[in-house]
Amino acid sequence: MSLKTLTFKHIRLISLYWSRFAVRSGSGLVYLLVALVFGLSVAHVLIMPVEQFIIQQEREMGAADPQLVRNTIISVGGPIAQWILGRKTMGEIVEESAERQRAAFGGPGGMAEVSPQENEYKFDKWTGFLLEEKPALLSAILLVLLFGMPFVISFLAYNQVSGDIQSLGLRYLLLRTERSNIYFGRFIGTVIFSTIVTAIIVATITFYLGARIRIYPAMALVGWAARGFLALSILMVPYIALCSLLSASVRSPFLSLVLAKLIIAGTLIVALAGGIAWKPARYLLYALPWGWQSQLMHPAPLHWISAVLGCLAYATVFLMLGYYRFEKRDL
Amino acid sequence: MDHVVSIKGLSKRFGRIQALNGVSFDVPAKSIFGLLGPNGAGKTTLFSIIADFLKADAGLVEVLGINTLNISRLQGRLSILPQDARFQRNVPIMEQLVFFRLLAGSTRKQAEEEVIHSFELVGLKSVAKRRVGSLSHGMVKRLGIAQAFLGHPEVILLDEPTAGLDPANARQIRDLIKQLQERATIVVSSHNLDEVQELCDHVAILNRGNLVLTGSVDEITCADREYYISLSRPLQDSELEELSLIEGVRSIKSQPATVAGQGKCSAEYLLTLDLSGKNAEQDGVIAAILRTVLQMDITPRKLTEGRSLETQFLEVTGGQTEV
Repeated sequence: MSLKTLTFKHIRLISLYWSRFAVRSGSGLVYLLVALVFGLSVAHVLIMPVEQFIIQQEREMGAADPQLVRNTIISVGGPIAQWILGRKTMGEIVEESAERQRAAFGGPGGMAEVSPQENEYKFDKWTGFLLEEKPALLSAILLVLLFGMPFVISFLAYNQVSGDIQSLGLRYLLLRTERSNIYFGRFIGTVIFSTIVTAIIVATITFYLGARIRIYPAMALVGWAARGFLALSILMVPYIALCSLLSASVRSPFLSLVLAKLIIAGTLIVALAGGIAWKPARYLLYALPWGWQSQLMHPAPLHWISAVLGCLAYATVFLMLGYYRFEKRDL
Repeated sequence: MDHVVSIKGLSKRFGRIQALNGVSFDVPAKSIFGLLGPNGAGKTTLFSIIADFLKADAGLVEVLGINTLNISRLQGRLSILPQDARFQRNVPIMEQLVFFRLLAGSTRKQAEEEVIHSFELVGLKSVAKRRVGSLSHGMVKRLGIAQAFLGHPEVILLDEPTAGLDPANARQIRDLIKQLQERATIVVSSHNLDEVQELCDHVAILNRGNLVLTGSVDEITCADREYYISLSRPLQDSELEELSLIEGVRSIKSQPATVAGQGKCSAEYLLTLDLSGKNAEQDGVIAAILRTVLQMDITPRKLTEGRSLETQFLEVTGGQTEV
């Protein structure tokens, strides 16, 4: 096994061909559809209450107060963001929310608008950065996408080589280029396709927030969307690499898909569920980027750079294991 | 270089099945080399190891003097028509083959010209824009052959190139292979023994992973000094005895033609001659036999020298008919 056989020209040709083929083969279309549905649904679920709140404000006061809308988003989204970032447990959040409602309304009741003065949440630095310094609604959407997209990515990446191993289709390529070029070229092609889909999702959401919701300055939205796009794109890389490894290890694309789903979701479920009974089980989150992937949205450069490097390191490990298998196996 | 493919002590096992067992032979340069064997004999495994699709358990394969473990050094010099390998279903066939040529370093324009030329050779030009899913089995086979002929490979491996083709297309492919012999060495496996005998100048016969016979077709088919004469009726015992008394005849026997596979016509009967002496002497003996047969009022319809490849094949593989 040697990486000296890598040929830039072949990798470029194979990755571009593979990106186009991803659409034609169906898996790319499925991913595009699932990712769009997921991404836009997440956006819809989070944007809809804000839109309704704005409409209610306009109806009652003639115009919506952007600051009031922003504060309401922060007060509602804060606990959720803290949970996703792992700053608080669900129990702490529920308890804190109940206390806050008792203090504000004298007992449990419905959600009400929150004035700037009433926004008494004291967030930690990270949550404050996401909700107060950056457009909170976009931050919330990006955090949920960051959490959910790893489940979706396997629809695109599961069949990088396993289908062609099964159909022996790779045999037409093997005397024309190196195995390494095929393996890494297809991986890069998959990353390119995933990045394009991520760009479409983030751009659509950002455009909608800018054009319809209009509570954040355009430049702040675009700048934060670009950061979110980069975070999502980089996060997909280790998961695609994991799918590469699985795809090179089994002959059946369906088995590759099932394994990818089981490993990506199973790691999270076992770690969270197991962690309740036995705390060290939570370390299983670090078998995949689950344990630290939200650091990609951290304000401190040291944190997000470490997260980027972590993604690349995990991707490298998965890729090299997959390449080793692909290089040695009968095709 | 005398030999372009050199195989030494090649072994491969799949679980309990010994697919290849110490196979060794050489393929002479600019030859059309036939690889024969019953189903499961190891032909496709051998092709796959030569092309480095499969890793051998033991042994060595050299193509053009290069160990195939360094298969990348053979890019553009070795091509293959793999058996049962599928093209991508959703990409036009033209685009798939153009992609292969782009990998070889051609510009897009050159690549398209080369692919069109290759399609013309195999009669696929009219369907160049179509996808594999809309092609017939025969067309897909020709597409596989077209990709094997792309560029200027010095060694071409064709795993059953005419299987599934109608007779006209099969003939076209055979003619094409013969033309290519001028610039390439071609190794062919085939189910059609008559085709191999017609097409190939050298053969190797595999049986259960073992090499049982190799050599030039002439050597193999003419190894015994046997001749076959197709007759219009069977010989009676007295007639057979009369013929056996002719000087130079070592043995003689009469049987229906289909038994020895020399023809399918039920009205033909076969006279098998085992002659002694040199070629010139044998000619005299054959002439004497033919004269005698004519005097017996029997029409000799065909004279064949040597044993057919099929006869040899059946003998060395223990009579297995599936190839």
